[in-house]
Amino acid sequence: MDVEKLEQEAASALEQADSLEQIEELRVRFLGRSSELKLALREVRDRESGMRLNALRQRLEAALEERRSDLEQVELQHKLMAESIDVTLPGEHFPEGHLHLITQIRREVEDVFLGLGYTIVDGREVETTHYNFDGLNMPPWHPTRSPGHSLFLNGDVLLRTETSPSQIRVMEAQEPPVYMISPGRVYRRDTPDATHSPVFHQVEGLAVDRGISLADLKGTLLHLMRALFGEKRELRFRTHFFPFTEPSIEPDVSCHMCDGAGCPVCKRSGWIEMGGAGIVDPNVLEFVGYDPEEVSGFAFGLGLERIARLRHRVPDIRLLWENDLRFSRQF
Amino acid sequence: MKVPYSWLREYVPVAIAVEELADRLAVTSVEVERVSWRGVADLDGNFDRFRVGRVLEAEKHPNADRLQLCQVDMGEPEPRQIVCGAWNFGAGATVAVGLPGAVIPGGMKLERVKLRGTASDGMIMSERELELGQDHSGILLLPNDWEPGTPLADMFALGEPILELEVTGNRPDLLAVYGLAREIAALYRLELAPPPGTDPELLADEPVQISVEDLVGCPRYVGRLFRDVNIGPSPPWLKARLSGAGMRPISNVVDVTNYVMLALGNPLHAFDLARLTEGRIVVRRAHSGEQMRTLDGIDRKLDPRDLVIADASRPVAIAGIMGGEESEVAEESDSILLESANFERVGILESSERLKLRTEGSNRWEKGVDPYLAEQAAKLATELMVKLSGARWVGHVDVQGELPAPASITFRPERADELIGVPIPADEQRGLLERFGFEVAKDWTVTVPTFRTRDVTREIDLVEEIARVHLDEVPFTLPARRAMWGRLTREQRLRRRIEDALCGLGFVEAYSYSLVDSDPDPKAIRLPDPLTAEHAFLRTTILAGLIRSLQRNLDAGNEEVALFEIAHVYLSGDDELPAEPVRIAGLTWGGFARAKGAVEALYRALAAPEPSFEPARELPFLHPLEAARVGETGWVGELHPELAPGEWGAFELDLGALAEVACDVVVYEDVISYPAVKQDLSFVVAEEVAAGSMIEAAREVTGAELRRMDASDVYRGPQVGEGKKSITFAVAFQSSERTLSDEDAGALREKIVRVLGERFGATLRS
Repeated sequence: MDVEKLEQEAASALEQADSLEQIEELRVRFLGRSSELKLALREVRDRESGMRLNALRQRLEAALEERRSDLEQVELQHKLMAESIDVTLPGEHFPEGHLHLITQIRREVEDVFLGLGYTIVDGREVETTHYNFDGLNMPPWHPTRSPGHSLFLNGDVLLRTETSPSQIRVMEAQEPPVYMISPGRVYRRDTPDATHSPVFHQVEGLAVDRGISLADLKGTLLHLMRALFGEKRELRFRTHFFPFTEPSIEPDVSCHMCDGAGCPVCKRSGWIEMGGAGIVDPNVLEFVGYDPEEVSGFAFGLGLERIARLRHRVPDIRLLWENDLRFSRQF
Repeated sequence: MKVPYSWLREYVPVAIAVEELADRLAVTSVEVERVSWRGVADLDGNFDRFRVGRVLEAEKHPNADRLQLCQVDMGEPEPRQIVCGAWNFGAGATVAVGLPGAVIPGGMKLERVKLRGTASDGMIMSERELELGQDHSGILLLPNDWEPGTPLADMFALGEPILELEVTGNRPDLLAVYGLAREIAALYRLELAPPPGTDPELLADEPVQISVEDLVGCPRYVGRLFRDVNIGPSPPWLKARLSGAGMRPISNVVDVTNYVMLALGNPLHAFDLARLTEGRIVVRRAHSGEQMRTLDGIDRKLDPRDLVIADASRPVAIAGIMGGEESEVAEESDSILLESANFERVGILESSERLKLRTEGSNRWEKGVDPYLAEQAAKLATELMVKLSGARWVGHVDVQGELPAPASITFRPERADELIGVPIPADEQRGLLERFGFEVAKDWTVTVPTFRTRDVTREIDLVEEIARVHLDEVPFTLPARRAMWGRLTREQRLRRRIEDALCGLGFVEAYSYSLVDSDPDPKAIRLPDPLTAEHAFLRTTILAGLIRSLQRNLDAGNEEVALFEIAHVYLSGDDELPAEPVRIAGLTWGGFARAKGAVEALYRALAAPEPSFEPARELPFLHPLEAARVGETGWVGELHPELAPGEWGAFELDLGALAEVACDVVVYEDVISYPAVKQDLSFVVAEEVAAGSMIEAAREVTGAELRRMDASDVYRGPQVGEGKKSITFAVAFQSSERTLSDEDAGALREKIVRVLGERFGATLRS
């Protein structure tokens, strides 16, 4: 047989083929069982013509395969082109859940203090006056002890007015050092409005160890404030008065809205009040059996709703209790 | 406490801008709410446009019955013609005039105008227009010896900044202008003026009848007697100070008592002597059943614990809180008994709480007033009474109980360094304490001034005195921690896993009040005195809060509502305090099936074995037949249709119980190497047979090689007959050790068919 002629014939046929069906037909015609080449191969008797015909078979197979692959690509392209969609249409719907904004903030605070090696204590909410007041150095005439300010179950039991009673319980139960925070619900006799709620959330922190100072408190709160409000925040102390601490201070954080230049959020002062803090009063340490000459401590308390209001600009804390999904799904 | 700046500067020569002073005070001493302004604005040349005028002529305006046309001498060559609407003056009156161009308080600029056809070349001002008081019934009458044309600003504080302070309970000494001046003098190393008030001459020695029956409640009572008192208005300077301090000028005598309280911090009271029975004062506890009408016109029932100032027959004032109407100083009063006393703070606080009556006076007493102050207060009051009302001072008595001796404290300056965290030289600490009024001996024994006795009793309190001045220098450090092992507890970790799992299932976290209007548990704790009826009970279940939130969302038209909340509930028991377990509650669209699916998914998320679901009938807030107990953990069910429209599924689980079954460390089991044999098995059973019981029975007889058996379909209809149903189970047999053969699977299947037949009368459908 004429190898060259056959090869040319196959090449031109392949070139003209424009479907996979035609490729298959050509395969049968040139390489099939009864093709000229197969028949010739069957007739081969000498090594040389065998090699020649096999080489031809390989070339034809390769050419066929190449053409098939090209046509497949073309066909796939055609198919894909027929499948155009509007990519701006929405994807399939997954209902997504959301953590409550206060939970998100609580976790952030918890994670900062976990990173510092603090424990987290989930204290009880119904407390005795012994832990809620006496242990916190609140004298019998302190106004918060009045039923006009706090919610009592009876003369000795009330809904805790701050999360600090858990600090007293922890100190009673263990020897120093103590490093803990206690987030949770607290209760006051306040009528709900944009900035008040009878139930709200605080986180209190306590560190008692040898040599704890105001400087340690300042560094710790700065670390927290930067975590919550950004790396550029600064912190200052203002003197204040709380029965639980002496000296008592209020920490201010430089305003995250105006970087301290003055704006409505910080009432043009450049600083925002963040809660209360101080060095744990020696009376408190003595109350739990610690020796104030051996150890000292700092304590602080912050309102989580306040952080939500400041950082997320929630205008009315009642929104945090209404659970309207249009609100909750923002966060 | 509002402090007019000029008043402060009478006692201490502070020269810096008031805002700068406010910033410093806020850090070291007392919260500054804001700096405000009283009176005329100090704009360019504005003060100069307010001057003294003398009315030369005053007659009815020719074209208006209600206006006066005045010719006013302003110290200029020609008098000015001014139209005025007030009638409380005539020719000869000395008045305050705002000239054209003046900007009056409130921002209005005066112009030369025509009123009813007549030119008016200025405005005669009332007390209220100058912010000297509330009186707007007529114009302000000035002393007649003031020269026409004199700028008013030369005669009194026409306008000035006011420091508005929020004084904390430990610093009653700062509830006085002089006390604040003393603080500022110490901070800025300025010279403090001596305390105001010098006794004039005592003109007679009339007896002053004071008996104090309760020297604990009233350790000191200075009584002073005045005759020939002329009650009248106070001079403008006094009105300006009182108004600036936020008090309303009333009359010279009352104003003097208020002025002294503001200046020194010791509240005073003035009685009309003629209206005191037998002209005597008895300080005692109220008799039971006693009543009196206070100055505000309210009849008050007194408690035997209330300290009262009485005369020979009845109470005439509630000590330290408010005077009585019947002994009030009035226009015709001629003889005045002035009280400059000291009252014990807790008694005043408690009386004030009982009576729900708080006054400027009680606010100071309840914080504790220096008992040594009464004498100085009496001096200042006497000086002013004589000067302003022309009174003669004719009697004096000073009744004293035991006054506390000044406390002394041993102080270690190095202790301050340790607690503040920054070294402060000892001599600097000494100087600071001395400037604050403490006496510091060579051996660091510190004597506390009597005006700070309440607040400073221990070494730590002195540390605070040092610290508050050095707050800006405190560096930022962290504790030098030696032993800190903090991490989340197991329950806290689980709680986060649950929160995240429920979020992953599309639930949105809700927060609702722990206080509710009602609770399904009859043993729920009720607050004896709740905020409102809506907040009367401590909840024993979270569900009610979620239903309320659901309702809100339905009202808002929100779709696919699925809420969860994790919070304490409060269960009363035998202990003093209730148990406070943490519960996880959910409420979702899709009814029972979706709620149950969420519970099952939650169990899987905690790697807990699938719980049992037993029908529950006793939960009133659920559909009676679509409710189940979830193992030992809680319940799941369809919300009772009366509680919300539509089909809602709910669950509530106990975190502690979930913690019992949650798996912390999952151990590998081979579910990969050997293939499972999967089959669908359908059984016909009586209607009342529960699929869960069938699965349980199948598990019993097959063991671990029954890897899965889930009810995938339930069919009822003619093919299975009345009162029966067909349940299809998707079953998977699998071993971790070998490939199960068809024979193995067949044997397992036979066991299931047999046990279901025996126990439930189930027949396999082919």
